Amino acid sequence: MNVDHPSMNQIEIEHLNKNYGSLQVLHDISLDIPIGAFVALVGPSGCGKSTLLRTIAGLETITSGTIKVAGEVVNDKAPRERDLAMVFQSYALYPHMTVEQNMSYSLRLRRRPKAEIDQRVGEAAKILGLEKLLKRRPKQLSGGQRQRVAMGRAIVRNPKVFLFDEPLSNLDAALRVQMRSEIRKLHKNLGATSVYVTHDQIEAMTMADLIVVLHDGRIEQIGKPLDLYRRPANRFVAGFIGSPAMNFVPAEITADGRAIALGAGALLKIPRAQEPGRKVLAGLRPEHLRLDGSGERLAATVDIVEGTGSMTFIEAKVGSELVNIAYAGTYETEAGAPLTLGIASEDIYLFDPETGRAL
Amino acid sequence: MLQSGFAKYLRDGKGFEGTLIVAAVLYLLVFAAFPLIYTVVMSFQEVDMFTLGTLVRPFAGLQNYTDLFHRPEFAPIVWNTVIFVTLSIAFQLTIGFALALFFLQDFPGSTYVRGLFLAGWILPALVVGAVWRWIFAGDFGVLNYALQSLGLIDGQIYWLSDPAYALYSVIIANIWLGIPFNMILLSVGLAGIPGDVYEAAEMDGANVFQRFLTITLPMMGPTLGAVIALGVIFTLQQFDLVAALTQGGPANASNVAQYWSWQMSFQTYEISGGATVATMMIALVIVVAVIYVRSVQREQSF
Ligand SMILES: Nc1ncnc2c1ncn2[C@@H]1O[C@H](COP(=O)(O)OP(=O)(O)O)[C@@H](O)[C@H]1O
Ligand SMILES: [Mg+2]
Repeated sequence: MNVDHPSMNQIEIEHLNKNYGSLQVLHDISLDIPIGAFVALVGPSGCGKSTLLRTIAGLETITSGTIKVAGEVVNDKAPRERDLAMVFQSYALYPHMTVEQNMSYSLRLRRRPKAEIDQRVGEAAKILGLEKLLKRRPKQLSGGQRQRVAMGRAIVRNPKVFLFDEPLSNLDAALRVQMRSEIRKLHKNLGATSVYVTHDQIEAMTMADLIVVLHDGRIEQIGKPLDLYRRPANRFVAGFIGSPAMNFVPAEITADGRAIALGAGALLKIPRAQEPGRKVLAGLRPEHLRLDGSGERLAATVDIVEGTGSMTFIEAKVGSELVNIAYAGTYETEAGAPLTLGIASEDIYLFDPETGRAL
Repeated sequence: MLQSGFAKYLRDGKGFEGTLIVAAVLYLLVFAAFPLIYTVVMSFQEVDMFTLGTLVRPFAGLQNYTDLFHRPEFAPIVWNTVIFVTLSIAFQLTIGFALALFFLQDFPGSTYVRGLFLAGWILPALVVGAVWRWIFAGDFGVLNYALQSLGLIDGQIYWLSDPAYALYSVIIANIWLGIPFNMILLSVGLAGIPGDVYEAAEMDGANVFQRFLTITLPMMGPTLGAVIALGVIFTLQQFDLVAALTQGGPANASNVAQYWSWQMSFQTYEISGGATVATMMIALVIVVAVIYVRSVQREQSF
């Protein structure tokens, strides 16, 4: 820890706003990224993830607010003065350079000695399994290999921070899963702070120490993966984190404040007492709904069944509401069959129907 | 029956395509291949006013070529041509490149201003020549007026009739004429470089000059090669401007090979001499064209 910079944060963003003309795409973003953390910026497409990452990189100017890197305000610094490395979604490799030249570019610009360049490129190539491809041009590489070169280019620099903008979105599913854990391992070994943009909540949940959920240019919640899953701050986060997505069913708090009445006549005990008679949205995760009817009970009718062998997904009607159920294992049933669903009281989430805030 | 058969043959695609190909090949044979070969053949024959009407003429071997090389005006005209091509291309290319880079910055109205630059391109070279005649005019020309007003010169410069200036006047006009073409082709090349590559270079620590030297220039290499090759070909073709401005004068001071070839063929009727110059230019253009094709192939390799 550098004594000149008493903060433990690698990046600090305070009240950042970003406009494109009259369109505001980032609203009052404040965010601290601890040294060495792997932070995921996650949210649906168009929510401003890339823009936020690019303001950190210095590739976009900001309208107001401050960005600090290692305690120093970098608002007016050019990207090259910030010592951050970025892996682009498109990889953005230099098409006219070989893999080796791509990776050594930043070192050559800094006029490092040839021996050092060779050694650092060689090391990165070894980590990423690129040794045999060093003389190739990007055009002669597969998507996965290009992705590795883009990572190699970042690693060689040994930067303070890695910025990733959806680095895996152009890979096929199997490769994506593999690269996920490789990037994780890499982060563990290198220890550099990483900011990772993705629209895929599973990627965020599996890779990040800390997740920042963005929606329409605002931060909805910041937290550890399981905290977001267990204690979503609002309906948006509850619906975004978790797959399949949480079911939301309109309900009303009973007169004693200790249960909810669902439209279908079911009464479910809730974990904490609420204001009697209040209208709420009940959040029920598909994987929390049990088919054996244990816990709080509600009656349902099967609508659609889809089995994969290891999982069975059932779409059922509870009163007039459609509810998804994810059952681990094989469950044989058919459309129209009656079900008695059960759920543990502490697995029932409640949200304000107007503001979406968790209750 | 036969008629409807042919109509069907035309309509069903194959016949139509075949007809188009035959038409194109015929056109090329009659209007491109024949004159070209005819010119080459004439450069090896004794041609005069009396044998003009026939194809069979005495074979001259390389006599026309040796005669040409021994003419006193041969060396100066070749040298003029080299200067004409080199300076024209050097300036067209650098100014065109600078403008292409300038218009890449998206400032308000950039598309309109760029459109204005293209206006020069659609003017016929003869018209451009006429305009530059006025600009270069010795007594009342706007160029002399401007230079005098700026205090750069005292007397008049007779741009088109002074042997020291004539060639350079034609070159200046030709540069002006060629800039839009260079700018457009180079703009297209620049637009083909993805923006994120520049951003990656910026993140990697390259300043604006380093980005130009290590990203823009090498990635523009094939385009530059193609533009230079086309520039050489077009400059070697540039006849109208010479005709409109100086007619190669005074005393061949601004004469260049393409104009000389025309003068010999159609003014002094030394037809084999004209054909010989033309043949040598054809050879040169073929070499340049090969370089151009290579360049275009390399362009597709990134
Ligand atoms: N250069 C730009 N000019 C205008 N609007 C932009 C520009 N870049 C992004 N936007 C807008 O900003 C919003 C956020 O974009 P982006 O950060 O790319 O979203 P994400 O990466 O989360 O998908 C979008 O509505 C997008 O249309
Ligand atoms: Mg994005």
